[in-house]
Amino acid sequence: MESERRLSKRENIICCIVALALLIVLLFPLFWTFVTSLKTEQEIFQIPPTWYPHVLNTKSYAAQIETGDFNMFSSFFNSFVISIGAMLIAVALAVPASYAIARYKFKGRKFMLLFFLVSQMLPVSVLLTPMFIMFKGMHVYNTWASAILADATIGIPFSVLILKNYFASIPAALEEAAYIDGCTRISAFFRILVPVAKPGVIVCAVFSFLYAWGDLAYGMTFILDQQKRPITAGIFNFMGQYGTKWSYLTAFAIVAIIPVVLIFVFMQKYIISGMTNGAVKG
Amino acid sequence: MKKIKEFFRYDNIGLLFILPAFIYMAYFVGYPIISNIVLSLKDVSVRNLANGQQNFIGFANYAEILSDEVFRKALVNTLVFTVSCLVFQFLIGFLLALLFNKRFKIAKPVRGLLMIPWMMPMTVTALMFKFMFSTDVGIINYMLKCLGIIQENIEWLTTPGTAMAAVVMANIWIGIPFNTILISTGLTTIPQELYESASVDGANKLQKLLNITIPLLKPTIESILVLGFIYTFKVYDLVYVMTEGGPVNSTHLLSTYSYKLSFDMFQYSKGSAVANVLFVILLLVGMLYIRITMKGEEE
Repeated sequence: MESERRLSKRENIICCIVALALLIVLLFPLFWTFVTSLKTEQEIFQIPPTWYPHVLNTKSYAAQIETGDFNMFSSFFNSFVISIGAMLIAVALAVPASYAIARYKFKGRKFMLLFFLVSQMLPVSVLLTPMFIMFKGMHVYNTWASAILADATIGIPFSVLILKNYFASIPAALEEAAYIDGCTRISAFFRILVPVAKPGVIVCAVFSFLYAWGDLAYGMTFILDQQKRPITAGIFNFMGQYGTKWSYLTAFAIVAIIPVVLIFVFMQKYIISGMTNGAVKG
Repeated sequence: MKKIKEFFRYDNIGLLFILPAFIYMAYFVGYPIISNIVLSLKDVSVRNLANGQQNFIGFANYAEILSDEVFRKALVNTLVFTVSCLVFQFLIGFLLALLFNKRFKIAKPVRGLLMIPWMMPMTVTALMFKFMFSTDVGIINYMLKCLGIIQENIEWLTTPGTAMAAVVMANIWIGIPFNTILISTGLTTIPQELYESASVDGANKLQKLLNITIPLLKPTIESILVLGFIYTFKVYDLVYVMTEGGPVNSTHLLSTYSYKLSFDMFQYSKGSAVANVLFVILLLVGMLYIRITMKGEEE
């Protein structure tokens, strides 16, 4: 409320203190995970707990690039390939589709829009078994491709619904000018519209990547071999086998959120725009 | 040939742009939705998945799950989980949005940092909370002891009632940023003059909140609650990683139970029947969301 009003100095200080306190409380789980990942197994079980590692232990990270059960590096790489693949498919298909919805009143437009909306609400459990049977038939079961194809179905509807707002906000005159200059529909789309909608395209790419990166159900169900599974499934697997090896588990957790943190640092404004656009305007 | 050209001349050229995405989604999502319905009307388990001898048994699977105690429990759990998450994440998000919409120095960067929980893989969030809620090493038990609230360690994740509380808290942590950012955006659309003239009329802060902020935020609040319901009702990974539905099914949601039926017990048809019930409930609530979104489409 009253966001425009200037705050007095005292109010400013109080707000800052409250905000910082909230930040500490809300991000405590992350801090605690990070600290734990640098402790020895002994120190983790120590009571009272230590607030920072008294003995620095980086073994949990080093073990991830060695061979054996503790190797998360290959899972990280799998996740990366799967997420990039899903992102490319989602962007390649969603960008033209959202342009069509924003600009043309073609036959079946409403039905298709409705279909994208509904597919955004689908629970994974509805798709898992049929996809499982389908991927077996397509011979992509137990390969990266199965997770890529499945993860793209999360990114596509989200991207279409977000991007149509971006395309709708581009003035029609811009497009018409391109036609007068001799552009075809296709070349105007690639040379004029897509560059103008670039921020929206980045939002879609970022979210499609994040959705795929966070996926557990598809990666775990469609890929059986541990060597090909994404990092989320790797972590889940490890939890089942070594449930209380918290030094390793927390280190895996930190490694798994590295891309998330990087995306956050470099693309924060796109994240916020994606969250607000995607939800409220649909 | 000429006819085809004619068809794509004006608005229908849009089809050329949309069909690749639509066909992809129809193949990988539309077809599975239908085959999931068919699957739920058949008797498919690990015995006959490969050999093709799968008989239609009508609604027998649905009748069976309706009389299945675990299913009923999962249905109730899903509702309890969703409603408690929605209430708390909305209230906390609302308060945070009110705070961060004040123009103090570090408002923007701090609000930005608070978005991180929402972006994280749920598996990682589940791991972190499982660690914090663990009985002997868990920091939560330690803190509660320090504050004198409990004497003995609570076995959070292995006691039915507290396990549900733990997964709810973890999910609230994920949902807060989403609520904060959307309410925050909604707040900025309220014209400032309204508050100024209310001040002139002698309205106090509470009156302004009840008579200006909340009524004007109604559309935002509606979409947040509907979307929040959809996202929360189908949560799967978080609970599956934290508790796998246990102890004694006390945290089984429709999503986790469906997964368990299909991929642990290999009763594919029963699993898909549960998934369809979940989907139908989502669709009913989703109608509201669709109405809100499509309204903007009817120029």
